[in-house]
Amino acid sequence: MKGRALLYQVGATLVLLAVLGLLDRFLPTFVNQYIIRILILSGINIMLAVSLNLINGFTGQFSLGHAGFMAIGGYTSAFFSIHAGPSIVQALGQSPQSAGAAGAVVLILGLAVGALCAAIAGLIIGIPTLRLRGDYLAIATLGMGEIIRVVILNIEAVGGARGLTNIPGYTTFFWVYLLVAITVIVNWNLVRSRHGRALLAVREDEVAAESLGVPTTKYKVLAFAVGAAFAGMAGSLFGHYLRYLNTNSFTFLKSFEVVIMVVLGGMGSITGSISAAILLTLLPEVLRPIKEYRMVLYALLLILLMILRPQGFFGSRELRLPLPAPWRARLARFARWVGPGEAGVTDEARAAAPGAAAVSAVPVVSLRAPAAGDRGALRREILRLEALTVAFGGLKAVADFDLLLRERDLVGLIGPNGAGKTTVFNAITGVYPPTAGRVILSGKDLGGLPPHRIAALGVARTFQNIRLFGQLSVLDNVRTACHLQAANTAWDAIWKTGAHRREEARTLGRARAMLRLMDLARLEDAPAAMLPYGLQRRLEIARALASGPKLLLLDEPAAGMNPQETAELMALIQRIRDEFGPAVLLVEHDMQVVMGICERVSVLDYGIRIAEGTPAEIRRHPKVIEAYLGPEGAAHA
Amino acid sequence: MQELLQQLVNGISWGSIYSLIALGYTMVYGILRFINFAHGDVYMVGAFVAYYSVFFLGLRSGGVAGALGALAVIALAMLAAAVLGVSIERLAYKPVRRQARLTALITAIGVSLFLENAGILAFGAEPKFFPQIIASKSLRLPGGAYVTTHQLLVLGGSLVLMVGLNLIVYRTKIGLGMRALSLNRDVANLMGVPTDRIIAFTFGLGSALAAAAGVLVALSNPRIDPLMGLLPGLKAFVAAVLGGIGSIPGAMVGGLLMGIAETLVSGYISSTYRDAIAFSILIVILLVRPAGLFGRAVTEKV
Repeated sequence: MKGRALLYQVGATLVLLAVLGLLDRFLPTFVNQYIIRILILSGINIMLAVSLNLINGFTGQFSLGHAGFMAIGGYTSAFFSIHAGPSIVQALGQSPQSAGAAGAVVLILGLAVGALCAAIAGLIIGIPTLRLRGDYLAIATLGMGEIIRVVILNIEAVGGARGLTNIPGYTTFFWVYLLVAITVIVNWNLVRSRHGRALLAVREDEVAAESLGVPTTKYKVLAFAVGAAFAGMAGSLFGHYLRYLNTNSFTFLKSFEVVIMVVLGGMGSITGSISAAILLTLLPEVLRPIKEYRMVLYALLLILLMILRPQGFFGSRELRLPLPAPWRARLARFARWVGPGEAGVTDEARAAAPGAAAVSAVPVVSLRAPAAGDRGALRREILRLEALTVAFGGLKAVADFDLLLRERDLVGLIGPNGAGKTTVFNAITGVYPPTAGRVILSGKDLGGLPPHRIAALGVARTFQNIRLFGQLSVLDNVRTACHLQAANTAWDAIWKTGAHRREEARTLGRARAMLRLMDLARLEDAPAAMLPYGLQRRLEIARALASGPKLLLLDEPAAGMNPQETAELMALIQRIRDEFGPAVLLVEHDMQVVMGICERVSVLDYGIRIAEGTPAEIRRHPKVIEAYLGPEGAAHA
Repeated sequence: MQELLQQLVNGISWGSIYSLIALGYTMVYGILRFINFAHGDVYMVGAFVAYYSVFFLGLRSGGVAGALGALAVIALAMLAAAVLGVSIERLAYKPVRRQARLTALITAIGVSLFLENAGILAFGAEPKFFPQIIASKSLRLPGGAYVTTHQLLVLGGSLVLMVGLNLIVYRTKIGLGMRALSLNRDVANLMGVPTDRIIAFTFGLGSALAAAAGVLVALSNPRIDPLMGLLPGLKAFVAAVLGGIGSIPGAMVGGLLMGIAETLVSGYISSTYRDAIAFSILIVILLVRPAGLFGRAVTEKV
């Protein structure tokens, strides 16, 4: 397998290099310089659009500062080739006038410098600003982009307001399209991996993503830095093509232009970004004959396109070539190893998860808790809450709450509305840090850990107000939850290494098994938001379970279900506990569910535990009756 | 000390222009959660409408006639801009109101590009010189700083407009509707608030204020050109964010702070850093207090 992957990769690279080399050599004989110029600028815009799409389209972080990163890459690489270039060329024994191959070396080094500096700037800017959301982030990045521009404008060493001149013109068609290919393949492969699903999860719902163990900040910064690096390379090529840089090329209008490409192509569609980048580079050229009306028409077209096709050309889908089936299959087989295409899942997944419906045949064994030993013996402690207190301002939502859950426990947490039940969940999962008291998971104090770390320690939850990744498919919702079960790095994903492919196959098998268990397998391609309510609740449980928890927190799973669905749900919860063995803590208003399946019930009222015991004890407990029915009701009861 | 005072006078005068523009941004954002990037260009259109109406009305400069003329010109510009603002909303923004926010933003960028380039077509790309219908005089302030009649006009004009706006927003039925919309558009609609009409009114009101700002600027800094709204528009938006977007007093204070900060920076550090400083303040504010000075922090319920 490994040898074949390498063969494909090397082969594809050689073919690409040969094609680009031939085009580079013979294009000038067929078309004039003007066309080549448009091709080169299109390529640079493709790099910008595809890299911004990673940030805006896939990760959902609204950045309006892409031109700033382009500027940093352009200026640093140009500075490098102007000052370090000549000595490198000389060391390689060529004269600066006809640099040839040495020029290529300088350009590659310059690209690396530009990418690195832009990525570092992305990190420096991203780490503080990515705490902001939506429009605030947009404005902050716009401001950052402008600050970068003004700072460059004031650096005399790079020409200040006069601009930077005498940049060697190393950029050729070959280099631009080689970099375009790299940009597309890297982004494509990154997005189609567990890392890509993590990015999408951040876009869809950060709280839910964290609850499944996705370190959202890390992924936001990753997307930002990778996007910035590619923008930096685009800037490098731009400078080495024009041989002159001026900060006027990098105003916020340039950032807008790139955002327009991303939106027009379709957020989260790489082929869309490519098409829109080409179109928007061509459009002003095509409109050139009408001179002064050109920009007015451009603006009107833009408005019209947004009104008529707000989701962009392709929505979030990718363009599919109209190929005959055998060709499509061949292309898919090839793409599996190199670039576009799903990771090499099909064959391996088939091997790993034979069509059998039996859940036990599927490799979900890792999900099962270690054998609990004798039922009679004291089971291991999973969760211990000691005097847990959560206060908002002066209001104590939960006060001095104690709770103990052992392996395979199924415990209910009930109480009137506003009693603090969900707050207990939020404190356990790290959404709100406890004000006082301790949350101990298998002997480890969780105090102050962020939600994704707590998830990694084996806590999974569902949400009272469903938080699915609405635009992602049912399958991808569950696959995202397998994030913690894989260890491949973003680098593995880009290169499609064996580790990445094996883990992708395992993830797919595991996710499908989970969907079969939950009877959702038929719906795996449906967007989660399209499911009816009851199925959404079930999908959320599937997702939580797929993360392999030893503690499963279910927040009102039966809410909004009809009696039949509720009965199925009860059976399902018991089955989950019996087959996969997590301790289950259940918040529920439906007493039939709580009394029917819980072995122990804890009752909260105004944040204070008023009772704990078996369902039978709770039903007769005077304080519980009072809490639910009021003192008068209690008297009648 | 005298110099500092002078900078403050200049800053407040310039800042009140930002405030006027920022009010339009903040009202629209408050109601639609939408950054109307074309707002700065409405300010430009206001200045040009005033420019042509000066000639159309055959105004002469100086004296009482000049002052009355200026009032007439401001009123005309505000009216024209209000019509423009309402038309933009109806033709371009309303069709995308229910779409993703980025779609609306791109539409706004499109409208902005359209107004700028249509402006270049109609008015020419070369700067025009706004006729000086109000004579410039300098008055000496107690601290030794000078204030020009233009600056007083800008300050007085924006003060009157802001008071008027406050009366509309807090004392009229339509203002109540605006406030209801800003809290929850759907519920306001269910309660019988005519949302479409109020949104259109808000655009008209904001555009009128921007146009007034455009004329006030043109009266004192007579160079006007079709791209004059680009940077002031952007900075006024930053001022609105600074004050807490969606908050009317926030926009006023944010604009003033922005103007003062800018004049101080260009006076004491370097005028080339002027634009960068505006954004630096913004970023610091956003990081320390993301909701802005007067904004309410919104926490998400999990």
